[in-house]
Amino acid sequence: MAAAVESGITTESPTLIEVDRQAQFAFSPGGVKYWLWVLFCAGLTALGGAYWLHQIYYTFNITGYGQPTMWAVYITNFVFWVGIAHSGTLISAILYLFRVRWRTGIFRLAETMTVFAVATAGLFPLIHLGRVWNFYWLVPYPNERSLQPDFRSPLVWDLFAISTYLTISVMFLFTGMIPDIANAREKATGFRRILYSILSFGWQGTDRQWRNFSMVYLLLAAFATPLVLSVHSVVSWDFAMTQLPGWHSTIFAPYFVAGAIFSGCALVLTLAIPMRRLMKLENLITIWHLDCLSKIVLLTSVVMTYSYATESFMVWYTGDPIELATFHERYFGPQGYWFWLMIFCNCVVPLLLFIPTVRTTTIWLFIVSIFVNIGMWLERFVIISGSLSTNQDPSQWKFYMPFATEIAITIGSFGWFLMNFSLFAKFLPIVSTTELKDGIKYLRQAVREVYPYRRAA
Amino acid sequence: MSDGLSRRTFLKLAATAGAATAIPGCEPAARKIVPYVIPDENIIPGVPSYYATLCNECDAGCGVIAKIREGRVIKLEGNPNDPISQGAICARGQAALQGVYNPDRLGKPKRRLPDGTLREISWEDALKLLNDRLAAAAKAGKDRVAFIGASQGPTLDKIAVTWAQAYGSSRVAFWARINDEPARAAADACFGRRDLPVYRLNQAQAIVSFGADFLETWGSPVEQTRQFAEFRTPRDGTNGVTIGKAAYVSPRMGLTGAKSDLWVAANPGTEGDVAMAVLNIIASQGWLAKNAAVDAEAVKKFTAAFDPASVSQRSGVAVDQLNQLAAWLGQADGALALAGGDDPQAYIAAYLINALTGNVGRTMVFLEGAPAEATTRPEEVHAIIRAISSGAVDVVVAAGGANPVFTMPSEWGAAAAIKGAPFLVWMGEVPDETAAGAHLLLPTHHPLESWRDSAPRAGVYGLGQPVMQPVFASRPLHDVLISSAQNAAAGQTIAWENAQDAITSAWQDLQGKLAPSANATDFWNQALRTGGAFQEAAVTAVTLKGDVLNTPLAPRAESRSQFTLVGFPHIFFYDGRGANKPWLQEIPEPTNQIVWDGWVEVHPETAARLGLQTYESTYLYGGINVLEIATPSGRLELTANVTPLVKPGVLAAPIGQGHTAYGRYAKGRGVNLWEYLPAGSRAVPVTVRVLEKQYKIVTPLGKSDMMGRSIVEAMSVEELAAGRQPEIVREEEADTPKTAYEMYDPWKYPGHKWGMTVDVQACTGCSACVAACYAENNLPVGGKFEVDRGRIMSWIRIERFIPTAAEAAKAPNLYIAPIMCQQCDHAPCEPVCPVFASHHTPEGLNAQIYNRCVGTRFCENNCPYKVRRFNWFQAEWPEPLNLQLNPDVTVRGPGVMEKCTFCIQRITTAEIDARTANRQLVDGEIITACAQACPARAITFGDLNDPNSAIIKRRLENSARSHNQGRTYTMLPEFNALPQVTYLRSLYWEKA
Repeated sequence: MAAAVESGITTESPTLIEVDRQAQFAFSPGGVKYWLWVLFCAGLTALGGAYWLHQIYYTFNITGYGQPTMWAVYITNFVFWVGIAHSGTLISAILYLFRVRWRTGIFRLAETMTVFAVATAGLFPLIHLGRVWNFYWLVPYPNERSLQPDFRSPLVWDLFAISTYLTISVMFLFTGMIPDIANAREKATGFRRILYSILSFGWQGTDRQWRNFSMVYLLLAAFATPLVLSVHSVVSWDFAMTQLPGWHSTIFAPYFVAGAIFSGCALVLTLAIPMRRLMKLENLITIWHLDCLSKIVLLTSVVMTYSYATESFMVWYTGDPIELATFHERYFGPQGYWFWLMIFCNCVVPLLLFIPTVRTTTIWLFIVSIFVNIGMWLERFVIISGSLSTNQDPSQWKFYMPFATEIAITIGSFGWFLMNFSLFAKFLPIVSTTELKDGIKYLRQAVREVYPYRRAA
Repeated sequence: MSDGLSRRTFLKLAATAGAATAIPGCEPAARKIVPYVIPDENIIPGVPSYYATLCNECDAGCGVIAKIREGRVIKLEGNPNDPISQGAICARGQAALQGVYNPDRLGKPKRRLPDGTLREISWEDALKLLNDRLAAAAKAGKDRVAFIGASQGPTLDKIAVTWAQAYGSSRVAFWARINDEPARAAADACFGRRDLPVYRLNQAQAIVSFGADFLETWGSPVEQTRQFAEFRTPRDGTNGVTIGKAAYVSPRMGLTGAKSDLWVAANPGTEGDVAMAVLNIIASQGWLAKNAAVDAEAVKKFTAAFDPASVSQRSGVAVDQLNQLAAWLGQADGALALAGGDDPQAYIAAYLINALTGNVGRTMVFLEGAPAEATTRPEEVHAIIRAISSGAVDVVVAAGGANPVFTMPSEWGAAAAIKGAPFLVWMGEVPDETAAGAHLLLPTHHPLESWRDSAPRAGVYGLGQPVMQPVFASRPLHDVLISSAQNAAAGQTIAWENAQDAITSAWQDLQGKLAPSANATDFWNQALRTGGAFQEAAVTAVTLKGDVLNTPLAPRAESRSQFTLVGFPHIFFYDGRGANKPWLQEIPEPTNQIVWDGWVEVHPETAARLGLQTYESTYLYGGINVLEIATPSGRLELTANVTPLVKPGVLAAPIGQGHTAYGRYAKGRGVNLWEYLPAGSRAVPVTVRVLEKQYKIVTPLGKSDMMGRSIVEAMSVEELAAGRQPEIVREEEADTPKTAYEMYDPWKYPGHKWGMTVDVQACTGCSACVAACYAENNLPVGGKFEVDRGRIMSWIRIERFIPTAAEAAKAPNLYIAPIMCQQCDHAPCEPVCPVFASHHTPEGLNAQIYNRCVGTRFCENNCPYKVRRFNWFQAEWPEPLNLQLNPDVTVRGPGVMEKCTFCIQRITTAEIDARTANRQLVDGEIITACAQACPARAITFGDLNDPNSAIIKRRLENSARSHNQGRTYTMLPEFNALPQVTYLRSLYWEKA
């Protein structure tokens, strides 16, 4: 078995005990390299944090922000991370409700990614605020002045959407983990045993517990499903509810949701591919899983291409000269290269996924997913800063370029996300043994029938 | 006590704590706040007092009202009693405050040590040193002392002359590089008198300016702007609605060309020739006035050298255009030709046109009792400089902001002469280039801190009083001169104790002349209250001198050079004196929209010829190539600004930058054009080379193309007369639904509803409103870097668009309009704010609560007009600039959004006053800073709920119901924001 794991070859039929063993191995205590990696991520986080403090102290003077690009990299990061967060719930909740078998290997990973992506996204509206120390004024709380937030503002909707989403995601994640943690608890010692004892909430594996667990999990899945659609729709309304040409469009909600799933699935690929290698999870997160996931990426990529075309068509069809000018600048203006790079990343590169070899070769998948990540970040950047740059009054046009502060904070956000994710992966079950064992016959079947050629590799 | 804190310990601790609080830290001792034992009746904290005084920023002599809060001046307004300013002042006048509070003002007298460093000395030592050197010079002989200063009004100038006499010298120069000598010389040649004519632009039907940028710096810009706006306002003519026709002959468009119907791009220096050609045509067409009493043949003979064909070739002006100008001037019922620049021939030609078309005495008049000449003739100044360089002068006193080292022509060698003088004394406010070489530097009062008077024209006697205690340990310049003169005058007596005394006695004399029967105290108090004594001066009849037509003028030689460098006075810096005021550096120059720098305007054709990289628009470029321009007096380097607003082949650069001293705001920006321009001219033939080097000039402007959007709208006079709407509106209306669904109830305005109307036709883009807003609302100045990052903080901006070639036939020369918060009824900024920081008041304002703002900046994203400003940086007012801050307005911290408030502090003050007095608000009681400053009276503010208010009247007058068919529009109506600011369209004549 060990030889098979190390050689990276997917075994034809892992047994139940093998599933358990490998999952156990994955979250056994990490080595020096692991901690160096965590430290590196923590360093990036500290860098971003230091720049944020610097920005709070020295004001936005040290950023590239200015009239008219009131929103730029920070809100781009916010939308990017919120978008990332979507695939997790899609995979875990929607695919659960539809009883899609291939979710088993990757849904936990995706959920984890969701929680930390939302946690990262939530930082950016704060980083973006002019006076962050007053951020709580957006929350309706009882106060002696009877001041409440304005519920007409999409930012308040945003606050509720994001906090609801974070709450549900965390609940969903931790509920789903209970049997796995209980399983791990049996063999753990010391700190881990205490941690797992608490997080398994006294799980005994009785019939009654399984029945209740299934019901709660189903309910939570049903609860989370509409959120997949609503949260990013609300985020898109931050833009669509304004009158800014380039933002003011009815297509934004579905367009943003599709983009979110697209980018989220791509980031799952980006994370899963190195992780299954490093944590020796090739038998659990198989090529089958990756293949299925990449098909979603392909589908959403085509949806995105269609959305871009529709967006442009609608602009042309309205004949509104102001919108037309904004889009003309977006395509052919001085910063048009962002747009075309985005089209290349989001619409052209993912077409490679039509080739089965690309879908089943991890290095290809990894490369494609990186392109998609870059493309989706750029998409938000083009929409946000590009549209603001080319606003209603041509005398106020000005293009934006980030300064070191924004770049460092953006890098810091990746560090923060990866640090949290890495810690989670080594301390809590990043693959669900319960579900893998439950659906082991599908795993075996898929590996045997669909990917026979991989055996020879 | 078993707890460990014994009584003993407690006492020890208490004593230590007490000592720690009692001993002051390392902080400088705080200023003491001491209440008045007997409060001054006139100083009520929180209540401003107002003093009438004089603006000293240029020679126009506008009267101003200074607003004083707690003993310091915080705002200047035009003096409504003053016949020149009539309640308005320009941007330079507004910025006089930053002259008073300039952080670079000299605080104490300083003496230069032999090693070149400066050391502070006491006033006593300084005066002793001064008097000793003066006495020694006087002893050495006659005329060994020279005084070079700027004219400070008749009385103070007399003090300077008296002082020089006390030291046996007659070498006194009142110097200004931009002076009225050419105008006086021309008046002498034409009419045999050397006084300046007074122009009545509003009485003309057609105005042709031959190089006089009368909306920017020439003459008395505030007064001319007001008259020009009146002249250009639509009125009922014989053939329906009409406006005055204006043309501007100059190599660069400028604001004057922008607001005229015709910009006639003549080669530099040929404006006078063009005028002569126009006169030629007028004579040959028989358009001479009947009462001109000259023979048309004599005029033809006089102008024979200026036949239209040859002038057209020399000047680059088409013969058709010459004919057009001649027709306007010759056929209009009341026409006016103006001349500018330094060429007396242009003035002669303009005066002759006015005289021969019967307009002298009508649009151009000479008044009885004209004041004496204020500035010294340039040749006399030159003689003094020659004397200094020849060593005939021992002590040179450079005083009163004349800055001869900076402004004098380089061929005079003035800089070397003055700096080489055995003893150079500089007296002034901010040490300038002249001070850089001075041996003794004496800080003097700012005009707003001292007494003065003025006589800008017959019948206008301005009285300037100090409006506050001095900010620095300075003394009034003329007090220093008087005390110095008294020191010298062994045997002779000086008539005055100090400058104030001189002013009072001068006004006693004036009373004898103007109102001999009045009580002296009453006359004086009245003059103090109203800012002077103002009378209607009688018009003198003048006749042309007989020989004027017999002295033929020589055509200006055609320049053989491919390129000509033209210097034009910057609208804010004038001859250079404004460059140390941060507001003036930060406010974009209206036609180029460039801040904090010098530049050279290059036509796209010239740029192509030079192989200069050009950009479709200015909003992105990182830098642009620097041009090396070789003039006869040296090479200079300036960054090109490629713009169609200048004639091909002409390189136009603003005068006023290029200081090497003069404070932190002026130093090291651009090039001092005065150094390269020959005496008596503002154009010089040059050769040009494009350098590899790039430099970034900064502008807050994005695109210059309006892209067909309804931001600054225009319509033709013909459309207005026929009651048609412009095409753009007809298209818009077809697209706009007539009824819209409203989700929320419309706002109710039970009391007042504030609104504004801006007449784009009247607005000249002079930016007085912008400067007034900076002063009134404590707007911070960011500097070049911040403006480059898009962080200019102005709440009101002058929007400037250049019509594209396709639009040009149906557009004014430039689209110019002030844009401030439109205070929308459906304000897009309001619903997007999550914390109600942006909200609607019951009086129709979109208020912004700084305290509540968290800085999401969503409001600005949703604002179609992009008028909201975010505090990206920590605003700074280096001391003592902070003393200028208006205590009624919060200084905003970083991280909050701000914008135009319609001067809510003025609204609230007036409302409280009315409520306290238990009365209704009166229309006109509240006036916003921008509306108050506007010389063109383009802005009307008022209550839209009051059917009799001026704003409602102005709106009705210009709505489709009246003869002026529908000039009203709102900006960007397709966003349905329902702005409370409406605009009145700019007008143009349809081009044939």
